Amino acid sequence: MSNNSKPVTNRRAFVQKLVGGVAATTVASSAVALSSAETPPEGKKAKLKSYAMLIDTRRCIGCHTCSVSCKSEFDVPLGVTRSWVEYTEKGTYPNVSRHFLPRLCNQCRHPQCVDVCPTGATYKRPQDGIVVVDSGQCIGCKYCIQACPYDARFLNPETKVAEKCDFCIHRVSKGLVPSCVNSCIGEARIFGDISDPNSEISRLLTTNPTTVLRPGKGTEPQVYYIGADHSDEHENNRGWYDVRITTHRKEKGRR
Amino acid sequence: MHELTWGLPVIAYFFLAGMGAGAVTVSGSVLLRKGGFGASRFSVARCGALIGPIPVMLGTFLIVFELGQPLRAGNLFHLINLSPMSIGSWFLNIFIILSVLYAMTFMLPGSSPGDRFSQVRRGLAWVLVPLGIGVAVYTGIMLGAMPARPFWNSPILAALFTLSALSSGVASIILAGVVFRRKSKDVAIRSDYENSSYLLITSDALLIAGELLVIFLFLLFGHLTIGDIKYAMLAILPGGQMALLFWGLVVGVGLLIPLIIELFQVMPKLLHNREFKTIVSLEVAVPLAILIGGFTLRYTIVVAGQITAPTTL
Ligand code: SF4
Ligand code: SF4
Repeated sequence: MSNNSKPVTNRRAFVQKLVGGVAATTVASSAVALSSAETPPEGKKAKLKSYAMLIDTRRCIGCHTCSVSCKSEFDVPLGVTRSWVEYTEKGTYPNVSRHFLPRLCNQCRHPQCVDVCPTGATYKRPQDGIVVVDSGQCIGCKYCIQACPYDARFLNPETKVAEKCDFCIHRVSKGLVPSCVNSCIGEARIFGDISDPNSEISRLLTTNPTTVLRPGKGTEPQVYYIGADHSDEHENNRGWYDVRITTHRKEKGRR
Repeated sequence: MHELTWGLPVIAYFFLAGMGAGAVTVSGSVLLRKGGFGASRFSVARCGALIGPIPVMLGTFLIVFELGQPLRAGNLFHLINLSPMSIGSWFLNIFIILSVLYAMTFMLPGSSPGDRFSQVRRGLAWVLVPLGIGVAVYTGIMLGAMPARPFWNSPILAALFTLSALSSGVASIILAGVVFRRKSKDVAIRSDYENSSYLLITSDALLIAGELLVIFLFLLFGHLTIGDIKYAMLAILPGGQMALLFWGLVVGVGLLIPLIIELFQVMPKLLHNREFKTIVSLEVAVPLAILIGGFTLRYTIVVAGQITAPTTL
C-alpha cells in the first residue's frame, strides 16, 4: 500500500480506437463503468457489486508486466508473488505450442482460505466480493496458505502475515482498475462488476467460452479465462507428449 | 518439492499434544472406571495425570513460536468461528488449564483414592476425557478440512490421529511407570503393579488394532477412488517418497511389532487366565517403539499432504 500517491493515469483512453476486437472496447468501457459506479446517486443505497476478472490468454504475450507492476504497487518482497505468469510448453518439435497463463488470487465465491482462518483476519467483503486479509489481525498461522487450492497466498517474509492479491482495493475504490489491468500491454485483462449485466466483463463472459481454474474444488473462482491451457505436468505420466510448466516463482512446480 | 508450509514444529506439536491429551484421557477414564483392578487404577491415573500436561504445553509452546506473529496468538481467542483451528485452540486452551488443575489434585502429599480431593478429581476427569479426545481429534480434522490437499482431505485422519494419540498416551504412561515406580518386594504392591500393566497393555493392543484397521480403510479408500486422492496416496504406497517411513516405522515398528509383542504378553491371561508377568525390557522397548511410530505417523502424513497436490489445473 505504499504507492497510494503515485500518479494514476489510465492509458486506456488512448488505445481505445486501436483494436476492433473484443478486448479493446472492453477495457475502455470497464474503466468508465467503474468510475461512474463509484458515486451512487444521493439517497440510494450503493448496490452490492461483485468484482471479477477475465483474462484473455490469446492476447497475453507472457511479458510479466502485470507481475512487475504488482510488485511495485505493493512493494512485494523478493521471492513471493501476488500475481505471476506461468508458461506451458507442450509437445516435441515440430508439434509444439506454448501458452501463457497469468495467475492471481481467484477471489473465490466460496473461498477456502476464509473457511479455515481462525481469527477472522481473512474475509470476503460483502460489498464487492473481494477476499481480503486484515494484516492487523492475522497471526501468521498459515492455515489459509495451506488451504488455498491455487497457491495464491504466502507469508510475507517482512511483515510475517498472510498476503495475496486483493484486486488492488485501494485503486478500485477510487474508480480505477487494478494495477495489472492498467499496465497489461496486450490488454488481456478485463476487470469489472459481473453483477451488472451491462458491464463489459458481463458481456464478454456471456459471449465467449470461458473456464476457471480447478473448478472441481468447488471454490467458484471469480477470475475467468478465455483460451487457457489447463495442461499440467501430471500429464507427463501418460507418456504421450511432454508438458513443461514454468511458474516463474520461487517454487518451481505448481502446487 | 514445495517448501513445507507446516514443518517440524507443527509435526512435533501434533505428536506431543496428541500424546499428552491421550495420557490425560486414559488417566481420566481409568479413574472413572468402576470395579476391576482396585488400587492399581489410581496409580495409572496418577501417572497419566502427572505426565500428560507436560508434552501438551511443550507442543503448544512450539506452535506458538511457529506462528508468523507469535505475540498475536491471543487473537485466536477474540472470537470462535467454524475453523477447526479456532475450535481446536479453545479446546487446547481449556484443556491445558484443567489438566494442570487435575494434575495438581494428584500432587498433594498423601493423595489417595478417597482423599478430600477425590470429588474434584472425578469432576475434572469427567470434563477432561471429552476435552482430551477433542484436542486429539481436532488436529486430524484440521488437516482433513482442505480440498486443496487431497492426501488429507478425508475424515479418516481424525480417527487415525485420535487412536494414535490414545495409544501414545498409554505408551507414555507405561514408560513413566517403569521410570518412577518404587521398587518393592511387597507381594500386594507387586501384584497391583502387574494389574495396572495388564490393564494398560490390553487397552493398548486394542487401540493399535483399531489404528491398523483405520490405516487399512485409509489405503483401501485411496485404492477404490480415482483422481486427486488416488494420486496423492501414491506418496505412501510402495515406491512412493514416504513409503519407507510409512511402512517401516509407522506400520512396522510403531504398530505391528508392538501389537504382536503385546498380544503375546496378555493372551495367556486373557484366554487361559494364567498369571501375567511384566518384563521390564519390553516395558521400555514397546512404548518407545509406539512413540517412534506415533511421531513418524504425524511426520509422514503432514509431509505427504504437502508434497502432493491436485493433479489438474
Ligand atoms: S484463490 Fe485462494 S486465496 Fe484467493 S479467494 Fe480463492 S482460496 Fe482464497
Ligand atoms: S495466516 Fe492469517 S489470514 Fe491466514 S488463516 Fe492464519 S490468521 Fe487467517
